[in-house]
Amino acid sequence: MGVVVRNLQSVVSLRRARLRADVETLRLIFGVQRFDMSVICVDNRKIQRINHVYRRQNQPTDVLSFPFHEDLRPGKLPYALHRDEYNLGDIFLGVEYIIQQCKETSQDLHETLAVVTAHGICHLLGYRHETEEEWNEMLQKESYILREFNRITGSRLEPLTKRCT
Amino acid sequence: MLKSLSRAVQLAARVSSSAAAAPVTPAVRSALYPSRTFTRSIWMMSSNSGSRPRLLTSKGLLPSVSCGCGSLHTEGDKAFAEFLTDEIKEEKKIQKGKSVPKMSGGWELQLNGTEAKLIRSISGEKVTVAFNVNSSIPPQLEDEPEQGQKGQENEPDIVSTPNFVVEVTKQGASNSLVFDCHFSEDETGHGEGEEESDIFAIREVSFQLEGEEEWKENRYTLNTDSLDWALYDHLMDFLSDRGVDNAFADELVGLSTALEHQEYIKFLEDLSSFVKCK
Repeated sequence: MGVVVRNLQSVVSLRRARLRADVETLRLIFGVQRFDMSVICVDNRKIQRINHVYRRQNQPTDVLSFPFHEDLRPGKLPYALHRDEYNLGDIFLGVEYIIQQCKETSQDLHETLAVVTAHGICHLLGYRHETEEEWNEMLQKESYILREFNRITGSRLEPLTKRCT
Repeated sequence: MLKSLSRAVQLAARVSSSAAAAPVTPAVRSALYPSRTFTRSIWMMSSNSGSRPRLLTSKGLLPSVSCGCGSLHTEGDKAFAEFLTDEIKEEKKIQKGKSVPKMSGGWELQLNGTEAKLIRSISGEKVTVAFNVNSSIPPQLEDEPEQGQKGQENEPDIVSTPNFVVEVTKQGASNSLVFDCHFSEDETGHGEGEEESDIFAIREVSFQLEGEEEWKENRYTLNTDSLDWALYDHLMDFLSDRGVDNAFADELVGLSTALEHQEYIKFLEDLSSFVKCK
């Protein structure tokens, strides 16, 4: 049971150990340590293709989440019958897109990756931000998670949902 | 045809009975006793001796194109040589304008036939990346055309993805840290398929003493197949800090592909010279 980290791109220099450590801290806070998940770092070309194929949006983005389970309810952990079902799903991080945003806002790449991953894990657990009610619910969850993360790590991260329109 | 063959056999039998006994081959000797005379006759008919009529011969065994060197030259060799001339011409056309790419990051390239070494010094550490272009081209798997699309008419690009060994030696240290690295199999479909593997992977890690040429079987080798993932990430970060990261791996593919192509053309030229006997 663990986190699979993959780096499929050669545009951005990444610290894999740092990313893994942050993801493990987030998993602890979310209470999903017994669930496997994947974090896959890709460039603009790849994330744009995935975005186009699965969301009909032909443009790069910062994160795309693919939950393993269906019929998820926000706030409820997925119900797993067998060992193989202890899987949250995959998070694709558009690191090239993210680093561009970091340069524009003078933010640290790896801190931003932690924020984006927290956002992604929320989606894997069924949180959405299509309606105002959903947006508020997700913002609340993300804020709690990052508050705990900041307490543990000494960081000063803010939720991504705050910036979503 | 059968009538003329049987007449020839009868003639040969009369000839063989009156002629001096010719040496009998082991193949004939091992034939059935009652048919020994017959088989000997057949053997005599196929003999290369200039005094006997040649009725049973194989055209392909005789040289038809000779340069006077004494070696075998056949029509097949001629066709082969012509084919090679065209192949070399085509390969050089592909190669034209494509010089061996230079690696970024200050790597010095040393070549010894198919073996290549990239060497770099960084803050007192020496980093060497060694690879061999032999057997570095993975099998090309043809992708099935998507629904509604025609199959690809052009052949896929040939790409060399060699295994490579990274050796890191710290200043004044008696040993080096050695990483055996492989490109992921998905690298062949780079950019087009739905690959989700790292571009390259570390397979084994070990120490090697300075000046030691041979591998020691009793030295521990860390295999990454079942390694703790956090430790693996630290090893990848270690390499990345020394310039061996995904961008380096991409450039290495370009370099290896160019070197392999060079060696391939040289081999074709040597082969052509050998076949033509020049």
